[in-house]
Amino acid sequence: MRHLFTALSAALLCLLSLPAHANLNVVTSVPDLAALAKAIGGDKADVTSLAVPSQDPHFVDARPNLALALNRADLLITVGLELEVGWLPTLQLGARNAKIQTGNPGYLDASQFVKLLEVPTAKVERSQGDVHPGGNPHYLYDPRAAVTVAQGIAARMAQLDSKNAATFQANLQKFTTDLEKARADWEKRLAGLRGAPVISYHRTTAYLSDWLGFTQLAFLEPKPGIPPNPSHVAKVLTEGRAQKARFLLQEDYYPDTTSQLVASKLPAPLVVIPGGTNFRGGETYLQHLEDVVKRLEQGLAGKGT
Amino acid sequence: MTVLVACTLFFSALPAAAQTSPPEKDPGSGLSPEELQEIEAAVGKDQTASSPGAPGDSSPGGTAPLPVPRVLSNPWIDMSFILDVALAAFTAEEPLQGGGHDPSRNGFALQQLELSLSSVVDPYFRFNSNIVFSQFGVEIEEAYATTLDLPANLQLRAGQFLTRFGRLNNTHPHSWDFVDQPFVLSRVFGGEGNRGLGLELSWLAPLPWYVELLGSVTDANGESTARSFFGATQSRVVSPFDFQFTSALKQFFPLSDALSLMWGLSAVTGPNASGHRNHSDVFGTDLYLKYREVQGNDPTVLALQAEVLYRRRQAPEALLSDWGGYAQFHWRFAQRWATNARYEFGTAAHGQDGRLAPDPLDPEWTATRQRLSANLTFWPTEFSRVRLQAATDRVGWRDEPDYSAFLAFEVVMGAHGAHAF
Repeated sequence: MRHLFTALSAALLCLLSLPAHANLNVVTSVPDLAALAKAIGGDKADVTSLAVPSQDPHFVDARPNLALALNRADLLITVGLELEVGWLPTLQLGARNAKIQTGNPGYLDASQFVKLLEVPTAKVERSQGDVHPGGNPHYLYDPRAAVTVAQGIAARMAQLDSKNAATFQANLQKFTTDLEKARADWEKRLAGLRGAPVISYHRTTAYLSDWLGFTQLAFLEPKPGIPPNPSHVAKVLTEGRAQKARFLLQEDYYPDTTSQLVASKLPAPLVVIPGGTNFRGGETYLQHLEDVVKRLEQGLAGKGT
Repeated sequence: MTVLVACTLFFSALPAAAQTSPPEKDPGSGLSPEELQEIEAAVGKDQTASSPGAPGDSSPGGTAPLPVPRVLSNPWIDMSFILDVALAAFTAEEPLQGGGHDPSRNGFALQQLELSLSSVVDPYFRFNSNIVFSQFGVEIEEAYATTLDLPANLQLRAGQFLTRFGRLNNTHPHSWDFVDQPFVLSRVFGGEGNRGLGLELSWLAPLPWYVELLGSVTDANGESTARSFFGATQSRVVSPFDFQFTSALKQFFPLSDALSLMWGLSAVTGPNASGHRNHSDVFGTDLYLKYREVQGNDPTVLALQAEVLYRRRQAPEALLSDWGGYAQFHWRFAQRWATNARYEFGTAAHGQDGRLAPDPLDPEWTATRQRLSANLTFWPTEFSRVRLQAATDRVGWRDEPDYSAFLAFEVVMGAHGAHAF
């Protein structure tokens, strides 16, 4: 009996000591943020993304295993601007982890580091569709925003883990240098996009168009979050033809039958971009943007993806 | 039948209502009629194979509403109103609808108007409340505080709350796949579910998979404990045995990114009103298996949910026991459409010797009851829902089966929060 008690105590101690880990445990809502956090944290941070890149980040099931990941997190990084409001708050509450509650040092809303676009200036209501009252949350398509977000992440990681602050700073420096170098190349390759009229599916492209200078001609959704309907699509097609839209742009998590039809009728290529970094598959943020740029480049050359 | 035809017509009209004017009436589009037809077909195809997001999956813990403007909120409080109304038709003169929010007679029914208020109080507590308005008054269904900062993975709830027995008891009608409550819940816990004033402590085990253990102590009296515990007849607490004790173990297994399994075991014990120190015990198990694709743009959601409850009651000179449960299947087959089917059963009360025994709570319940329900659900957006439901109730102690049909409508206004899984 005494041996049994000792063995049970030892097992319990092992289990209780499981969460203890030397590295900073970082959980992000979306994989783009996970890729940024990994670039900064390097081998000093264990990073997990709650959503996978093929999921629409507005709609993620609040599965209890995600609360378990948050329970063990030192830092939670979110996109903010109510992008995750439908699923993250219940996970935060269920996590029983005071560190990552809103307002505490372990909670970081990355939108605070970004120059926001499409912030409503007048009263908004649901008749306008699913508008984000704080501004458009899809800022991670713009590498300039990614740099300021990475700076914010590095500062917060340094605050939480001061002994590795120099490492985070060095990683930030390397990430920024690499990204700025790549950005110059991307901008050169996509120079022809400046002023080009483009049709998109959803309002996810505000920051992309702000960065690359293309003109957002129309959206297939009549209002954000409201699925396309025939009369609106007809109008978009007519306008697209009149304005000679260069291509049609959408994320891979949106349906594409209507987009393909409109693209063929314009005619113009349909450019489908990945919704996020394949972080779990080892992709970096730079590789993800390179993929996006390559697809835009193909669209500019008249080829669809 | 007339109701069914009218409902079908109503459903078929809704998608058109959600669109703007038909394309052929769009002057000056410059498109040929063939092109307009092609667009209609493509849009139609996308509606059935579309974004996994859009209209909320109404299953408990399903997709919650999109970010919304805080038109009904101030910076400190999230506030929402949820209205549920239904048109009902029954073949039975006395329908056996036991849920407090169920349509229970022919004609229109205001199922509920729920005011939901929630807010973080301070760094240590979160506050939630659900206040329900009916045509007959106002009721504080839930009002409780939850801790945010307890050590050792503990969490405490205090106030009036629905106990976390099983899967459905602590949820509200707007998160149900059906218009009405499974009859096993109203039979065992009452029309309003099992709830009371008290305390709940829960613990998230430090294990590699999700294991939550909880225990609560609540008052055993009040309308919402009337079916198995003290109910309204008793109010004086003279010993700890006069409280209701609930415990539950909840486990979650992420079988893949798309497939989830949740399994719960629950038990509750408390005094009943049949005599001094007479107790009731209820044991239950619940299962929820959900498939939701996370790759591509497949809108399909499949979910299987089942609960079984076993109740044992001390009554004067008898120990009564009965069983009941339900199993339901949810299939979202298109972006805005889903169908649900549910089977329910409940046995009559038996004595210790296994023979049928008279049940003072349900004297007419002398045989097994089975009910089969199915519905079709349409979401114009994730903030509104229309359902057409039909059921056949095979009541063992009645000569003929009962039939019923509901047309139910729901709207959600304001910043309603996310649901648990």
